[in-house]
Amino acid sequence: MTSIHWRLVEVLARLLKPGEREAVLGDLLETGEGAWRGSRDVLGLVIRRQLSHWKNWQPWLAVFGLALPGSLVLMGTSVSVSSMYERLIDHRIVVESPQAIHEGFFQLLCRSLLLIGCSWACGFVMGSLSRRTLWLSIASSCFACLFCLLRFREPSLSRLCLFLFLLPAIWGVRQALRSIRINFVLAIFLAIAVTAFMILLSNGRGLWTLNWSLVWPAWYIVATAQRTGRQVGQS
Amino acid sequence: MLGEFEYLLISAAAGLGDRAYGAAIREEIEVTTGRRCSIGALYTTIDRLETKGLLKTWMSDATPQRGGRAKRMVRVTPKGVQAAKDFYDAVTRVSHGASWVVNRTGRT
Repeated sequence: MTSIHWRLVEVLARLLKPGEREAVLGDLLETGEGAWRGSRDVLGLVIRRQLSHWKNWQPWLAVFGLALPGSLVLMGTSVSVSSMYERLIDHRIVVESPQAIHEGFFQLLCRSLLLIGCSWACGFVMGSLSRRTLWLSIASSCFACLFCLLRFREPSLSRLCLFLFLLPAIWGVRQALRSIRINFVLAIFLAIAVTAFMILLSNGRGLWTLNWSLVWPAWYIVATAQRTGRQVGQS
Repeated sequence: MLGEFEYLLISAAAGLGDRAYGAAIREEIEVTTGRRCSIGALYTTIDRLETKGLLKTWMSDATPQRGGRAKRMVRVTPKGVQAAKDFYDAVTRVSHGASWVVNRTGRT
């Protein structure tokens, strides 16, 4: 096998777990496998490994229950926060009374906190559900973002307004990948806060109702925090 | 009951004894069956059998022949031996009376 072919095999083998990569590359070196057969074998193993993850329900939930719909709804919430900010800060003259200004700022604060809380919870749950298939969850989320970006027609708002949810969501994914254990009290605080903000802001009209679909990740974190707490207690 | 490839893998590993590891098992299967054995099929089957408790695997020390890379050593557990024996017995019983077995043993 030439060095270029071997390099290709090594690159493909990076998609395997470290122990398995070591054994497979060692086997290929020992048997003096040809370039084509070596690459095909490693690629075959990588595909089998990736497919095996999809036997579980978690990656499916991460892609079709969180990444795709969650990104769309969070982009909607991002736009609603941005447009409210624009209405209050940039066109304050339009607002009629000081009472309305106070109410407006309170609503903006609640929506911003809701957006941060929901985005973080969605990112965290997505990361913990689909650690090994995260690339596909991220790709699904990017697809949803691209879809909205191409159809965004709001002249007064920048297109970046769609992506206010991204930073807290990435933060959540990173924390999930670092296997940070969420304290049960913190988890319940987050879930109650998110639900309370949702009730507070809920007007029962239009697309806002869809935002209720963002509440379950926070309660999922509560359930997992309770379970891991019990397991730690037992051990 | 075991699958055909699972049986082949366990039998090859049992035959190789202390020298049973990925490349050696693969070569053994290819030589004895005359069929190609892919690394993907080999390692996913090893994992499945280990999960069932029929095999035990561990990483050996790195060797210079393999570019300083370790081997994934394989040992058949007593449960694996029993499963292979059950498979063999079932194949022997079900083959009883089949033309190729009858011809081989000289029976008519």
